[in-house]
Amino acid sequence: MLLTGAEIHRMVHAGRIAIEPFDERQLEENAYGCRLAGELLEYTSQPIDPHQELAVVRHHIPEEGFVLEPRRFYLGTTLERIGGINYASELYANLSTALCGLFIQTSAPLGHTGAVICWTLEMVVVQPLRIYANARIAKVCFWNNLGSERSYQGRYLGSSGAVPSRIILDSP
Amino acid sequence: MILTGEEITRQVAAGDIVIAPFNRDSVNPNSYNFRLHPHLKVYEEGVIDIKKEKPTRDLHIGPEGIELEPMRLYLASTIEVMGSTKFVPTYAARSSIARLGMFINLSASLGDIGFIGRWTLQLLAVHRIRLYAGMNIGQMMFWQVQGDVRLYDGKYQGAKEPFASRIFMDYAKPAREQPAAPPTAAPTLTEDAPLGIYA
Repeated sequence: MLLTGAEIHRMVHAGRIAIEPFDERQLEENAYGCRLAGELLEYTSQPIDPHQELAVVRHHIPEEGFVLEPRRFYLGTTLERIGGINYASELYANLSTALCGLFIQTSAPLGHTGAVICWTLEMVVVQPLRIYANARIAKVCFWNNLGSERSYQGRYLGSSGAVPSRIILDSP
Repeated sequence: MILTGEEITRQVAAGDIVIAPFNRDSVNPNSYNFRLHPHLKVYEEGVIDIKKEKPTRDLHIGPEGIELEPMRLYLASTIEVMGSTKFVPTYAARSSIARLGMFINLSASLGDIGFIGRWTLQLLAVHRIRLYAGMNIGQMMFWQVQGDVRLYDGKYQGAKEPFASRIFMDYAKPAREQPAAPPTAAPTLTEDAPLGIYA
């Protein structure tokens, strides 16, 4: 079952969901609204080779905003460290975000139980888009588990900002 | 848990799910097929600034259909008014649509409990695709929830046509405020836009 906003609130107090910082005003009907942090990454490696270290350039989002360009790929991150201690989670764009022509994840919404992290966002725009730090662009929802739980110990554990792909760790 | 088609049908009859008009032939094993409304919107060219309202242009899909330009955003809407006061809706493209190389939303498939209206779709085609009004374009699913329910009362409630982003409204006031008294019932919509053969 999917948790309602009231239930997410209850579980934050019970220590079964972690959201830092937590602000009641960001509780939604069945999700928690997340904000965009002030730093973006972009790959400079061409082509992108999963067996090689990936070079990135960092962009700071200034006060006057930052224009995302079509046909480019940016990694952003949620300001919030968020995840389920005892729940699986998923990240989606707000309707408002998507209606601007912005993807914030590209077919990878699932957060595993125990993955309490600043979520890396995969950002792609269809039309040039000026965005600002702190913009509320994402929402995370939580699912009940069926079965015994095992907590996420993966390679993105402890992420506190945008983290480029570590797929190189899959290399033989 | 996800509702079966049979359960969706039951909940529509019970009034806990709204799908209007409702057609039994559109019920799938775990979802309901919704159709494309003939009214589309596109943004004017240039940079969209999330702090400012971006002008849009209306398009109408005639009997000959409309050809979507690749990698351009079209805001469309469902013919059906849909939502639920008891279940959380999520939606997806029909597999047959996705296989044409088209997105119908941009990572925003999770709905809010209590939203009742026409859903604004974000159409994005990878190559040229001709679309026709009234075609089955996506499917709505419904999920059980755990916890006390507060119904959606946000800036898209009651949508009757495709909505351009209202994210700029987030910057019109200092902070988002909680509604003083959460609504306990969803608003009722009256049909106004003539749908012709699509009704």
